[in-house]
Amino acid sequence: MTELRDVSFSYAAAPEKGCIKHMDLTVPDGQFLLLTGSSGCGKSTVIRLLNGLVPHFFEGELSGDVLIDGRSVPKMELYETAALQGTVFQNPRAQFFTVDTTGELAFGCENQGLPENEILSRIGRTVERFRISDLMDRNIFCMSGGEKQKIACASVDTLQPPLILLDEPSANLDYASTMQLREIIKLWKSEGRTIIAAEHRLFYLWDIADRALLIRDGAIAEDWSRADMDAMTNEKLAEYGLRSIHDTDPVTIERSCSRGEVFNVKPHKKFTFPAEIPLHEITAVVGRNGAGKTTFLRHMCRSARRSRRIFMVMQDVDHQLFTDSVLEEVLISLAQEDEAKAREILRSLDLEDFADRHPMSLSGGQKQRVAIACAAASGRDILLFDEPTSGLDYEHMRQTADLLRQLREQGRTVLVVTHDSELIEACCTNIIRLES
Amino acid sequence: MIKLDPRTKLLLLLAEAVIVLGGLGGGNAEPFKTVFMALPFLLLLTVKKYRTAVIGAVLLGLGLAAGHIPTEGRGAIVLLMCSGILTRFVPSLMMGNYVMSSTRVSEFTAAMERMHVTPKITIPMAVMFRFFPTVKEECSAIGEAMKMRDIRLGGSKVMQMAEYRLVPMMTCSVKIGEELSAAALTRGLGSPVKRTNVCRIGFRAADIAMFLLCAAALVWIIWRSVT
Amino acid sequence: MKGKDLINIGIFSAIYFVVVMVFAMLGFIPVFMPLLAVLVPIAGGIPFMLFLTKVKKFGMILIMSIIMGIMMILTGMGFFTVIVSAVTGLCAELVYRSGQYKSASKAVLTHGVFGMWLWGNYLPLFFMADKYWSTRKDFGQDYIDALTKLMPMWMCPVLLVTAFVCGIIGGLLGKAVMKKHFVKAGIV
Repeated sequence: MTELRDVSFSYAAAPEKGCIKHMDLTVPDGQFLLLTGSSGCGKSTVIRLLNGLVPHFFEGELSGDVLIDGRSVPKMELYETAALQGTVFQNPRAQFFTVDTTGELAFGCENQGLPENEILSRIGRTVERFRISDLMDRNIFCMSGGEKQKIACASVDTLQPPLILLDEPSANLDYASTMQLREIIKLWKSEGRTIIAAEHRLFYLWDIADRALLIRDGAIAEDWSRADMDAMTNEKLAEYGLRSIHDTDPVTIERSCSRGEVFNVKPHKKFTFPAEIPLHEITAVVGRNGAGKTTFLRHMCRSARRSRRIFMVMQDVDHQLFTDSVLEEVLISLAQEDEAKAREILRSLDLEDFADRHPMSLSGGQKQRVAIACAAASGRDILLFDEPTSGLDYEHMRQTADLLRQLREQGRTVLVVTHDSELIEACCTNIIRLES
Repeated sequence: MIKLDPRTKLLLLLAEAVIVLGGLGGGNAEPFKTVFMALPFLLLLTVKKYRTAVIGAVLLGLGLAAGHIPTEGRGAIVLLMCSGILTRFVPSLMMGNYVMSSTRVSEFTAAMERMHVTPKITIPMAVMFRFFPTVKEECSAIGEAMKMRDIRLGGSKVMQMAEYRLVPMMTCSVKIGEELSAAALTRGLGSPVKRTNVCRIGFRAADIAMFLLCAAALVWIIWRSVT
Repeated sequence: MKGKDLINIGIFSAIYFVVVMVFAMLGFIPVFMPLLAVLVPIAGGIPFMLFLTKVKKFGMILIMSIIMGIMMILTGMGFFTVIVSAVTGLCAELVYRSGQYKSASKAVLTHGVFGMWLWGNYLPLFFMADKYWSTRKDFGQDYIDALTKLMPMWMCPVLLVTAFVCGIIGGLLGKAVMKKHFVKAGIV
């Protein structure tokens, strides 16, 4: 049994964000519990309380007790908690420790000091059950996000923990990989493991979870049983600020716009990409894994480097902000230094209050807008977005959709590579399918 | 393909450092010195690092040639210094390149554990090797973003250019590092329990041959120096 | 020291090593080799000062320094560096500890001391040189004279002092960058 007893916690670094207030929770063995709620509501904090990262890694003020099978997590060392739970995190790039897959599956067991033969037989069992023999003995750096996440699940599996925790595991995955993740979770559930998952994207878990909690401001606002969940509709969830439970493959969505002006794409050596992109529209670019979405983006950027028309807002926008203030960021993008003009651009994107802030200290959505401001400053009229809504909750997804519509109204052309069918339905006026 | 145990590779690095880099025994080390100058290149070929081997061989060749060009005055000094530095450092660096490119991280940690090196050194080193490719990924992502943004930074702003490249690289790396650290800790890294390791290392025929080579060189140098 | 500290050492060692290596590439041109005692300690200041914000326990600086020495073994720069780096690392550790692991001015001094590990890489050029050149009599006395003129023994301590002074400069630079970026960005 897993329990939270009157737990309150606030982070030392940011006391307002993600705090927990007097939470009581009991999760019986074998239950699959889904935690949901908007960003910063505290659902990730619950996961961290259970795996011991709070308070041992993320420091702050804690009261109450967290128990796994009667043992107090805050009183244990992290390496002791490691034997009781396995956690799959959000970012596939940051959660593997070794460079090769086999070493990764062995890693947790090695830390527990299990005998070598035992570890090898466990790896064999996991590989068989997960059907991942083709992923063995490979360099993890050369794998796709979906494959990395599968390895992360497999490395949790080899430890055979009674409790499995998932912290937004699908945030960076496309549709197909998300469905594979669903299969793995179903497998765990069928084996009677206790599973607790914090997620924004509900569609792939809603029908297999036993219970769902809505967390709001660090407290349990709603506690839905299986029957409540069956009765739930998308409209009602939207009122709670939650995402859709309908399973829509973005590849199946239809959208088309009237033919107007187009931007001509140069042909690519290996892939057959669409030759024309309609201007002044919001075009979604969708495709299965390996259909060349990344290559497409890179190709677009490269072929338009001369004409200086295209600007890409990267998935990890941190990579494209370099300076120590938002204003400076826009200034170095202008052909001639002109502070008045820079401030005007910031105003048009509601960023004027942040002019002196360091770009890295802003929220994800604000950083996206800073990048767009840079695009405007350098006079680009075609904006590429690479998965702008990955890991965003309903509210922030709506905000991104509004922003894209606003850009279109200003006469810009928007191209969004995305696996988020809700975003496509909310704002895209055209769709391009990449076929492999 | 010849596969050497990481400990054998360390021995070869030591031999390289003593005989070629350190110049133990001077002229008495011949012909072993020549053997150790050539060995890293042969080993690089076994792991298909042809480009590195060729570049290294060219540098070493230049170094050897520079020592034999008869010149006078200032030019001679520069030439001789280049010759001295190249002939000493290149074979050793090539051996280092071979060791780094042919050893997997788990092999390396297994070898360190067998040599009873404390986990206080092996754990940070394992993290470091894991983190190199991440830093590289960050660097290239930032480089690409810079090209795309086509930032106006002319001649006089070299320092700023370095700042705008290094600082985001560090910021992004530190952020990923935090996540990596959290993930590793929930999986029990740093436990006082003695770690096991599924990576199998051990000495084979090729290792014994390398040991014999090093021993022979040592005996030869001592014997020649005494007589 | 806990797992978290050991991982931090690894992460910052990687960042430090990469930054240092970018500048050390210049050293492949032999004439620039002495210049590394200037460039490396200056460039290393930025990642190292960032590292110091995570250092709260005894031994973290020492371990990082020893790792730099081991990396020099693994990359084929010889075995001397690790001996030097163990000593300079320990000294740097003691300096930072004397400032209770938080004094900003001690941090700059710590980097000055820490940066001297690099000096170990020059040792094969000096201490083994006598033996080396004496056995190369066939190159002629001119050769030996020329070389000792260019890399005379007094260069040896000069390089050490250079590394220290440039380490201080690097520390100050690191401190400035910290203030300009990392503190403002909220990552420290």
